[in-house]
Amino acid sequence: MRRPDWAPDDIDIERPSVARMYDYYLGGSHNFAADRAAAQAMVAAVPEAPLMAQANRAFLRRAVHFLADAGVRQFLDIGSGIPTVGNVHEIVQQVAPDSRVVYVDTDPVAVAHSQEILADNDQATVVQEDLRRPDRILGHPELRRLLDLNQPTAVLIVAVLHFVSDDDRPAELLRTLRDALAPGSWLVLSQASDEGRPDSERSDAEAVYRRTGSPLWFRDRSELTTLFDGFELAEPGVVWVPQWRPETPESSVNAEASAFLGGVGRIGG
Amino acid sequence: MASPATATQPSGANSGMAAFTQEWANALTGTSYLPMTQAQLKKLLNRLARQLATALLAEPFDLRAGQRVGTELVAAHIASAEALGRTVEVVQLRLVRDLGLVAEDVTDRLARLLAAVTTGYTRALRDRTLDEQESIRRAAMAQRTEAERALRASEARFRHQATHDALTDLPNRNLFTERLTAVLEAPQRDTDRVGLCFLDLDQFKRVNDLHGHQAGDRVLTEVANRLRQALAGHLVARLGGDAFVILIERTGGTRDVIAVAEAALAAVHEPAAVAGQEVTVRTSIGIVERQVAGASANELMRAADCTLHWAKAAGGGRWTLYDAERDRQELTRQALTAAIPPGLDRGEFYLDYQPLASLRDGRLLGVEALVRWRHPELGVLRPDRFIGLAEETGLIVPLGRWVLAEACRAAGSWSVTGGTPFVSVNLAVRQVHRPGLVDEVRNILRCTGLPPERLQLEITESAMMSPAEEPVRALRCLADLGVRIAIDDFGTGYSNLAYLRDLPVTELKVAGEFVAGLRAQEPQADERIVASLVSLAHALDLTVTAEGVETAGQAERLRAIGCDAGQGWHFGRPEPADRILARLS
Repeated sequence: MRRPDWAPDDIDIERPSVARMYDYYLGGSHNFAADRAAAQAMVAAVPEAPLMAQANRAFLRRAVHFLADAGVRQFLDIGSGIPTVGNVHEIVQQVAPDSRVVYVDTDPVAVAHSQEILADNDQATVVQEDLRRPDRILGHPELRRLLDLNQPTAVLIVAVLHFVSDDDRPAELLRTLRDALAPGSWLVLSQASDEGRPDSERSDAEAVYRRTGSPLWFRDRSELTTLFDGFELAEPGVVWVPQWRPETPESSVNAEASAFLGGVGRIGG
Repeated sequence: MASPATATQPSGANSGMAAFTQEWANALTGTSYLPMTQAQLKKLLNRLARQLATALLAEPFDLRAGQRVGTELVAAHIASAEALGRTVEVVQLRLVRDLGLVAEDVTDRLARLLAAVTTGYTRALRDRTLDEQESIRRAAMAQRTEAERALRASEARFRHQATHDALTDLPNRNLFTERLTAVLEAPQRDTDRVGLCFLDLDQFKRVNDLHGHQAGDRVLTEVANRLRQALAGHLVARLGGDAFVILIERTGGTRDVIAVAEAALAAVHEPAAVAGQEVTVRTSIGIVERQVAGASANELMRAADCTLHWAKAAGGGRWTLYDAERDRQELTRQALTAAIPPGLDRGEFYLDYQPLASLRDGRLLGVEALVRWRHPELGVLRPDRFIGLAEETGLIVPLGRWVLAEACRAAGSWSVTGGTPFVSVNLAVRQVHRPGLVDEVRNILRCTGLPPERLQLEITESAMMSPAEEPVRALRCLADLGVRIAIDDFGTGYSNLAYLRDLPVTELKVAGEFVAGLRAQEPQADERIVASLVSLAHALDLTVTAEGVETAGQAERLRAIGCDAGQGWHFGRPEPADRILARLS
């Protein structure tokens, strides 16, 4: 029998969680032994893994600053994970205190943790949902409560799309999200790419993530660019994430080592 | 703070500070994620460098400044083992030199200050780690609690869904059976009594047909609500369709359950608004009330269901009380009915024959075939035990066909010098009305070789009561074949004279009840009736056979009246054909 939608999910902290592994890469301690073991296996396979996560997080910070400067006041962060440091609401509410942020993650522990962090913040909330079900995200009463989709909104899908396989039709997911957004809305995307990396490294990384139940799905620059269909890419387009509007010229040196491609696009009008 | 006496900080230190801060920032890059811009980072490091420089030269020397710097670094998320290592390295190598700090014991002080930074940093990092661990544990726990709550809620929901009807939200058959079983298995079952009301809406199908299924569903919901309201305290369940059941626990007797049934009737019979129209819903209720001891759920449900059918059969809109005797009789009848087809297959039926004798000379004219059933358990059954059942269920058709074929087969084999008797076979109404009767008779005659004039078919008046033409045509065909047609039990039905004129009837059989009246010494009304029937029949060229002739006196009077033939105990009881034939030879 198929489990009804209202039946509870299983939780199992013995199984590594990609959200808590990411926290470990970023130097956080919001993780359990199983997460650390998996993350350490990943570091053994890909020694730069923590740097990759840091580069992504820095990309997110720069992109959110950029959007806040552009006047965006509504943010939908899908795949927000464990809210370690430098969360979207911390960044934007410094710039514009009236900004509203909805976090979405499928990991129930990450969501519970976010709830605790956001308990006193009535401008930010968290929803447990999956990127693969955009209709349910868009229709969620918490989202509807906080965001007015008739106003420009930034959708952030940072370091999570590599957990969505082509079978889940990422282009359709993004189209559904795009169709719900008002003109002047934005999309921030980044994801892992195996461009220029040895096959053995890729297969080792894939093996680690298969254990998490969230297998990796690499995409190259042209695939990621295609996913911005319907958006106008902001300069400099889809690039290695350290190359996206770096603060200093030297911080984008050796950018391809980040293994993450990213970009920011806008719905015209 | 006291101004340094033995140490000075030279002018031009600003450029040195910038260089040191840049070096420190470079050293920290990549050690962990730094949630700030380069400018913010340098501003922070600049401030911390000044604090270190000041502390290095301060009098008295205060190590707490070093600890504060360590704590601040961690608080700013510069919190990794690598960040500490590189900080120690950069400060050790560059701080004094870049800032041109001069003091006699500066090397010594620097070592102690860095030790304090390390202590403060490590302590803060440890606290932070513990805090984060606690925080993620708490989140996991909160999630587990939530998952367990959701699981319990979903289990409760599953349970509710499994035990309740989706349309009306009344308990469903499962829950009802569960509760009934619990009542029947309760410790006090030896003394308790229990009651059931089976309830079914009368002609509910019409509501669906007239107003659609949605309206039907609304009626069911309305009925459910009313029952729930009117019978609070009793379990009201929906069994499916328009069938409901009420469980009455610990009844004091039949009267308690009747009161519940009355309340249910009253609640349901209130008019309901359906599709903008007022619809009066009526219901029938079957009631069972008995001791719990010795009762089974199945048996109670069956009894209530069967009683409900009695209420329906009695016209509906009422309750009916279970009657064990009636139930037993019906069960016997059902069992008997069910045994007819296998009985036919196994050859349990056989024929006896009763003589029809001439009143003029006592000669045997014919015999009437009478079916018997040698039932494996009940012994030999006479037709009054099973013909009615067979007629109700339509089994009379195969049974009648067998009787006809068997009678013809037997009669075809008889041979009596001086006149072989004809055989008279009863045809049921259904047989007469079936198309193909003529072919059937024709086939049987051909197969058995029985001459048509030696077959007489007895039909009742009621067989002719329908306006259909087919039966009349069939009888004409049969008569044309030469088969004799007799009207059985004449005088007890409508005695429609018109069909006597139109039908190819050859004989009237006068019902035995008129003959019974001939016992009296004085000529009575019965005798006059029989006399009139005889003269009427003769006027129409029909012969008359009197049934139920039991005495010589009756036979004498019938002969005096002019009746042609008689049948009854006086002339011989039903018996196997060979015995009758043996007496003739």
